[in-house]
Amino acid sequence: MEAERRMTALSEDHPGERRRYWLSFAALAIVLPAAILVSSWSSLSEWRRSHTTAPLIVERGATRSYAGAQWQLTGLTRVRTGLPGEILIVAEFEAAVDDPELLRNGPCQVVLTDDRGRRWLPAFIPARIVRQVLPATVDKPRCSALAKAEHGHKITMAETFTIPENATGLALAVTAVSARPEFLIFKY
Amino acid sequence: MNGAAKGFLAIAFAAAVLYLLQHTTPGYGDITSPIPVTGRSGQKVEANAFAINIAKTHLARTITMKGIGRNQTFTTSGLWVLVEGVAEARSESLTLASAQWLGASGIRYALTQRFQAVPGLLPSQRLEPGLPRPVLMAFEIPENQLAGGTLLLARSAWMPLEEEVRIRMPDMERDGIKPTLELARNAGAVPWRLSGE
Repeated sequence: MEAERRMTALSEDHPGERRRYWLSFAALAIVLPAAILVSSWSSLSEWRRSHTTAPLIVERGATRSYAGAQWQLTGLTRVRTGLPGEILIVAEFEAAVDDPELLRNGPCQVVLTDDRGRRWLPAFIPARIVRQVLPATVDKPRCSALAKAEHGHKITMAETFTIPENATGLALAVTAVSARPEFLIFKY
Repeated sequence: MNGAAKGFLAIAFAAAVLYLLQHTTPGYGDITSPIPVTGRSGQKVEANAFAINIAKTHLARTITMKGIGRNQTFTTSGLWVLVEGVAEARSESLTLASAQWLGASGIRYALTQRFQAVPGLLPSQRLEPGLPRPVLMAFEIPENQLAGGTLLLARSAWMPLEEEVRIRMPDMERDGIKPTLELARNAGAVPWRLSGE
């Protein structure tokens, strides 16, 4: 009531004032969300970057350019562990370095996935059986070798995963943190 | 009622509401506390990230271990509680880094760090999706914290809003306390063997 009386008094004195008052009010509806968006923009884009949302699918045997290197999956070998229902997967892959700066810029992650969306992380230390069956792969560097990337070099890497025998539709996902949200999916 | 009395009532009412709000506001620790998933011993308890089934509990005064070259004896002024179960990751590989024994009086006891190189022992046992794995937990607790105990299991003790499985443990008889339990490595699906006197 009080405000209305004041507004009426205002408009009687200055006719343009009332219009400007309501215009300012209406502008708030746009300005407030815009202010929130602007102040949280960096957090939002950081959040988007931290999610791997853009898969680059690589068919079997193919090579793909990603995060400053040419990537290829060279082998996915099944090894029996002796325990029922369980097998080891030794994934061997390589990166031919084009842009070492880009590749060194941040760690990389390797995950084995299946068609049910389950995700296996690599073993910290390859099992003893891998040392017996595929000794060459045990001494191959892990994904962290990319920190020492040099132009023109080809880095061959290997990771071991423990998975159930009945897992189907396996694929190896490789993410260079600096290249997110894009990540590689090697179909097998 | 005159205007002054009305005004006074309004202020008193507002003060009461503010006082109530102030005293019922949860603290940061409450807002970010673990999300409990409750279950019972002997039952498969399913959280979003993992599932666990507690099968057996052993009580002992002393634990002995046959190592390579030497035997070790672990004594305690309290009680050894060894819990056996089967756990499985549901969508992504993980380790259960935090397991605690919550006594009836509210005191929490963390996993023992005195045993080394026992396969399957938490927190080092890695869980994989689709592969149920035997897990072993060892706690050292005072005898009066045994009855009414609850097992708390989580991926991490510090992460805010982490899931925490709470398993109410059955009350165990004191007759079940063995003077000595031997913990040995085992070749097979269960990588350890417990044998008591």
